[in-house]
Amino acid sequence: MITVNFPNPIGEEHWGLWIVFYFFLAGATGGAYLLSVLFYGKDQGLVRRSALWAFLGVAVGAGLLVIDLGQPLRFLNLFLNGFHPASVMWLGSWFLVLAGAGLLWVYLRPTSRGVQQGVAVLVALVVGYTAVLLMQTAKPFWNASPLLPWLFLASAATAGGALLQLWYPHEKLSRLVTASALAEGAVLALHLIWTYPVATPGVLALLVGPLAWAFWGFVVVGWGLPLFLERRNVALAALLTLVGAFLLRYFVVMAGQV
Amino acid sequence: MPNPNDFAILFDASRCIGCKACQVACKQWNDLEAEKTENRGSYANPPRLTAHTWISMRYYEGLRPDGDPYFDFIRGSCMHCTHAPCVASCPTGAMAHREGGVVTVDEKTCIGCRFCVQACPYEAVHFDEAKGVVHKCTMCYDRISNGDQPACVKACPTDALTFGTYQEIRALAEERLRVLKERGYARANVYGLAELGGTHILYVLTEHPSQYDLPKAVREAEKRAATGWLSAGIAAAVLGAGLKFIVERREALKGGGQ
Repeated sequence: MITVNFPNPIGEEHWGLWIVFYFFLAGATGGAYLLSVLFYGKDQGLVRRSALWAFLGVAVGAGLLVIDLGQPLRFLNLFLNGFHPASVMWLGSWFLVLAGAGLLWVYLRPTSRGVQQGVAVLVALVVGYTAVLLMQTAKPFWNASPLLPWLFLASAATAGGALLQLWYPHEKLSRLVTASALAEGAVLALHLIWTYPVATPGVLALLVGPLAWAFWGFVVVGWGLPLFLERRNVALAALLTLVGAFLLRYFVVMAGQV
Repeated sequence: MPNPNDFAILFDASRCIGCKACQVACKQWNDLEAEKTENRGSYANPPRLTAHTWISMRYYEGLRPDGDPYFDFIRGSCMHCTHAPCVASCPTGAMAHREGGVVTVDEKTCIGCRFCVQACPYEAVHFDEAKGVVHKCTMCYDRISNGDQPACVKACPTDALTFGTYQEIRALAEERLRVLKERGYARANVYGLAELGGTHILYVLTEHPSQYDLPKAVREAEKRAATGWLSAGIAAAVLGAGLKFIVERREALKGGGQ
């Protein structure tokens, strides 16, 4: 039996930092591509540049997923070992491959807007399936409310917008990031209230327990401060928003496993 | 509902004396390494299942409201569900039902993604760090497929564990329930008839399942995923349309004002 183990920074059994990094990369870069197709479809330079970023995010993220496996060299079993549509992970693996190929195509060749929108659907599936993946588990913090996909999609829009702002500070982007950040905050609050009765230890770990640094770090540094700075210092606000997007995924992944 | 001729085990909590002979027999037959243990103030040891402990007795003691002491035991192990979340979530088909309704993992196919670990509501699947794959109770498939009983059943000195076909085991469970009710156990019940399509391990309990930390009303993994996909679809549509509306209405208003 071939055994290659890469160290998982947070315990072997749990889903740890590799998974969090992947969620962050796919969410932020995928969100940037989605926003550029939805709102800047006429600016082909921007669409193709964000397609490259999203391709890199998806490719590096997929690499992290493989490293996280107990048997990384068997990752092809995901694709060659039958048809398992009931498994969100199986579907997600295919979304990753198809979205990655589509993004590379959009970056390398001039494509019609129809193709770019089709690839955007695949990218949305990559961003969204990560939340559905958590919902399929038996962990109450992840599955007791249907809001996790809302949270991940809203956060992808916020982080993707912030990523675009870094090289394309534009007034419309500021409005987009502000609106999606407000939606994200509302969804997060609702999710915590909704899951509190059945996932009390997880929610308490976030509010006052060992994950409080990540949760309140997100609320203050990664969410509140960027909203305040949006009109004053766009670059700093965008950087802090990206830090917040990482913290959000970190505490969501960890709180489910408390 | 399991097939009437499937393999099944009955655990009768009213007959169990908590001796852990089943735990020891499982370790011996399946050649599972010992765990480093410590006194945690409970007779339960190890406190939870691991990759090397496939069955573990849990103990609940205290005083009832009327002052009577109680000391209840439950068998913690894989329930071999008909609609098993570990099987539904497995992206490679490594975790699957074998003949007779038994759920086992194919160690040569498993990639070590640990999705089944997260999906199991009984915390019965665990990751073996050294081998990079998951392990769980096999219902001693090597024994039962050769006409013998599982090791835990064979070792039980008080007939608290019984092995047979699902039809026999279910009839026995209902008979024991009738007897217990007659003897005045008003809260006696059979656990596993409705859970996850019917489990191949049935429990006769003298108290409500929550007294033993057994999950009630567990949703199947397929349904949890379906809720997730539906929610993700609505979220993508609402957030996409909402952002578009907010941003473009602002632009239209601005354009009108100029």
